[in-house]
Amino acid sequence: MKLLPLIFKRQLASYASTPHTYLSVAFFLVLCATLGLYTHRWMERDSSDLQAFFELHPWLYLLLIPSLSMQLWSDERNIGFCDMMKTLPLTSAERVIGKFLAAWVVCSIALLLNFPIVAAAHFLGTPDNGVIASQFLASWLLAGSYLSVGCFICALTHQRIIIFLLTLGLLLTISGLSSVLDALEHQAPIWIVDSIMKLDPISRFSSMDNGKITLHDGLYFVSMIVAFLSATIVTLNYKNS
Amino acid sequence: MIEVSNLTKYLGKKSVISDFSFCAQRHECVGLLGEHGAGKTTLLNLISGMARPTSGHVSIQGLSTQTHSTLARQAVGYQLQGGITHHTLSVKSILNFVATARGFRGAEKRRHVDRVATRLELQPVLNCPIDVLSLDLKRRVAIAQAILHSPGVLLLDEPTEGLNTEQQLKFRALVQSLAEEMSIIIASRHYDALSEICTRALVIAGGRLVADSSLADLQRCSRHFQAVTLAADPPVDLLALAVLPGVAGIEEDRQNPGKVTVLAMPGHAIFPAINSLITHRGWNITSLHLEPGRLNDVVHHLSHEVSS
Repeated sequence: MKLLPLIFKRQLASYASTPHTYLSVAFFLVLCATLGLYTHRWMERDSSDLQAFFELHPWLYLLLIPSLSMQLWSDERNIGFCDMMKTLPLTSAERVIGKFLAAWVVCSIALLLNFPIVAAAHFLGTPDNGVIASQFLASWLLAGSYLSVGCFICALTHQRIIIFLLTLGLLLTISGLSSVLDALEHQAPIWIVDSIMKLDPISRFSSMDNGKITLHDGLYFVSMIVAFLSATIVTLNYKNS
Repeated sequence: MIEVSNLTKYLGKKSVISDFSFCAQRHECVGLLGEHGAGKTTLLNLISGMARPTSGHVSIQGLSTQTHSTLARQAVGYQLQGGITHHTLSVKSILNFVATARGFRGAEKRRHVDRVATRLELQPVLNCPIDVLSLDLKRRVAIAQAILHSPGVLLLDEPTEGLNTEQQLKFRALVQSLAEEMSIIIASRHYDALSEICTRALVIAGGRLVADSSLADLQRCSRHFQAVTLAADPPVDLLALAVLPGVAGIEEDRQNPGKVTVLAMPGHAIFPAINSLITHRGWNITSLHLEPGRLNDVVHHLSHEVSS
């Protein structure tokens, strides 16, 4: 793990040097603000938190995360460079975790750039800062777990468009779990509904979104990150052998 | 230094390297000769620890590439065939990246990067993006990153491809100075460029080791060993050449009329006899040289012996 900062810095520099990153982050911010203001009518809700914005995040991440994870292994495009990396004494774990952390930092920056909304809320009324902080935390954890899924897909294939589509597909499936739940509500045995409910990130997210941070939900996201990152490391090790 | 034993590698169901064994000592410069697709690059990949063998072992300075993967990789420097390409990084940032990955920090890192940049004459292009450089410079960057940490084992993959004569001389001087510090394995299809660099040759064909001898011995196997190639303006009298003692045969060059190669019987030196014949007859010779033996022919012959 000694070389983790090296990979982290390289990946962050790689994100900073491509216009693609700026474009995706800007797109995310604009969509978040306009949808919150115009379709969810935050101004008219008269609420003390930013739920109108944050409940959109799981869906907006469906666009941001695949486009960020598309660049995760963009060094792979330079076959010479990628092969050279393999001759260096780097372990797969260092490479995966370093890249993942860099992408997560980009996500956090995108999230923090939502600060004008917080400022506006303070200007217009007296928001509940505790709830807003928990909403930020929930959104950040959700972004991390989605990114780890993107990371895993990247280890499977190198084609950028396939990475984008697969990540989008997988995340859509995860996000769509709640509709599956609704459909099964009265037909399926209760244990199936329960176990799907436990796996559904959206329901976890919305409970944290309401300002209710429990160890349960936090651990759920962390374990999802750990699980997908380990899967990525195992896949990479398998591919190299 | 390098011990390879019973190395076998399958890619899919195709065997690329089969039962390959050899040892290389410290400060030895080994040439890995083989035709296109013989498995040279795969073998280097296996030695460098980039790829894992299907069976068999590679150990570098006593460290197995399978069990001590990172430590073994730290003892190896590997110049890849295509050189390094990257769409944004400059030469300096690549060297810095590699130096950090090799565990150097701060002033020590700058010193190492400066040292290799001077050694490979990369100073003028240090700030250029690597993608705009020529193939030769890219390859020099690749060699620079390989020797940055003064490894015990240096692997070079086609380092002389596309070099002109002057560059080859420089490269030869570089490798000779490096050979005093580390063991070197050079894989190449340009055998004649290796003949003055390497002391030992491994010939690989179809993933098998078909010859392991000194380069001089390999040249001695050629039927052109000790042959004399001469060109004359009015074509010379071939019969006079053919009856000289020790002459095994005469080959005419169809493309250049007047150019002939006189083959020698094994153990015979025909150069003095031909020389005196030329003075005696007063031929107008435009070029005359003694051949050291054609490695191309030898390797080609060995490779086909195996496949047939």
